[in-house]
Amino acid sequence: MKNRYMTPLGWYWFLQRPAFRAFMAREATSVAVAGYLVFVLILLNAIGDGPVAYDRVVVNLKQPLAVFGHVLVFGAALYHSITWFNLTPKAMPIYIGEDRVADFWAAILMGYLPWLVVSAVVLWAVTR
Amino acid sequence: MHHSKEVFWWSLFSAGGVMAALFMPALMVATGVILPNRGPAAHAQIHETVSFWPVRILLFVILFLSFFHCGHRVKHILMDLGLRRASGALAVLCYGGASVGTLAAAYVLATLGSG
Amino acid sequence: MARGATIKLDVFRCRPEDERGTFRSYDVPYREHWVVLDALNWIKDYMDGTLSYRWSCRMGVCGSCGMMINGQPALSCAVFLKSYYPNSIRVEPLSYFPVDRDLMIDLEGFLAKLKSIKPWIIHEDEKPLEAGEYLQTPGELAAFKQYSMCINCMLCYAACPVVGAEEDFLGPAVIALAQRYNLDSRDQGAEERSVAIDADEGIWGCTFVGECTEVCPKQVDPAGAIQRAKVASAKNWYSKLLPWGER
Ligand code: SF4
Ligand code: FES
Repeated sequence: MKNRYMTPLGWYWFLQRPAFRAFMAREATSVAVAGYLVFVLILLNAIGDGPVAYDRVVVNLKQPLAVFGHVLVFGAALYHSITWFNLTPKAMPIYIGEDRVADFWAAILMGYLPWLVVSAVVLWAVTR
Repeated sequence: MHHSKEVFWWSLFSAGGVMAALFMPALMVATGVILPNRGPAAHAQIHETVSFWPVRILLFVILFLSFFHCGHRVKHILMDLGLRRASGALAVLCYGGASVGTLAAAYVLATLGSG
Repeated sequence: MARGATIKLDVFRCRPEDERGTFRSYDVPYREHWVVLDALNWIKDYMDGTLSYRWSCRMGVCGSCGMMINGQPALSCAVFLKSYYPNSIRVEPLSYFPVDRDLMIDLEGFLAKLKSIKPWIIHEDEKPLEAGEYLQTPGELAAFKQYSMCINCMLCYAACPVVGAEEDFLGPAVIALAQRYNLDSRDQGAEERSVAIDADEGIWGCTFVGECTEVCPKQVDPAGAIQRAKVASAKNWYSKLLPWGER
């Protein structure tokens, strides 16, 4: 009775359904974010090394390749944020008394609102 | 309760997921648009901001958790692509990579000098 | 619709000794009120008595008629021909299960996983009969009710790539059922169940693809159940590290 037929699962499984493609896109954002984290380390290091080192990095940020890279990782990060906040209420539902708060509102409360505040503070910190 | 050691890696993954979701888009706008436009003149202010100790600690927490978030996700992507049998080696690779990133972050942030 | 209208069903056929299956096409009378299961019954009665598949209630409660219908896991008694006509319909056994014959899958593995999480109420101290029943408030019932609606149709397994990749993965329905008992105020079995549940082949095998929840005909939300179990496990693990945490 072994060796009976069973739907095979090839490495390409994630191409087979739209939801699987969306899932893989979501997971793959981590590769982009990881690359960006390394860039942040380089930038921080340059900031510590002084104005000259900092200039070298910042001037290069206007190169088309750097702009393209930033657009790419920004798209990935945005997709990560949105999917993450939308899924948070599924893993951590909030209750008022015995009633579960609708996922929509829970996502706004636990995700989108804090996101707005954090983003505003970060942007303020680099423009003030 | 019985626990798999995955509980530890997963907790770093999800805390890192929160950090990345909250901070990355704004940081990218900062480094991709604002800093290049402000040019070299902004160095003094940016240096002062990031070397403020609470900011340094915050940056370390963001980087550390985000690195482990990415490491965990990449490990699971590779497992899902058919490398399930190699999950031990993948763990060394991915969490090792995240650890290197974390150590580098600690070093860079500790040696920023004072603003 | 013409009186003699027909619809084509491409049905997966496979005998136990076959290495792989083949598709056979049947032109079945098209009726607007027919579901896919009606068409299969018509094939069995009038065209090909050798076709094997499971069904019983014909009304979405027994959970035995799950199949892949145009690649989507579904209860064949709940999807209408109307949704596909005039296109043909491809009918296959549920994905990621060994096939016994035609559209019938082997349930052994699933049943063994089901048993491993002790899907019954476990009391720490059994009350004597004369002490009366174990009472529960509506709120305590609400805490697990959703997870008790599962009909073991296994559609969620056929929608889960981890099930396909990892033979030992407990899978969505079994973990949701464990939650059904863990969250029951009358139950004290969470500790015992955690051996199977809090394992790499348990909740930690899940990467939250989320399709199990989408295909579930009973709104059980197994994906949500698994993520909530992960959060609970992490909270418990960290609380044990604290000096004042529970032991
Ligand atoms: S959780 Fe839903 S899809 Fe899965 S077996 Fe139960 S009823 Fe079917
Ligand atoms: S025949 Fe019972 S659920 Fe479809």
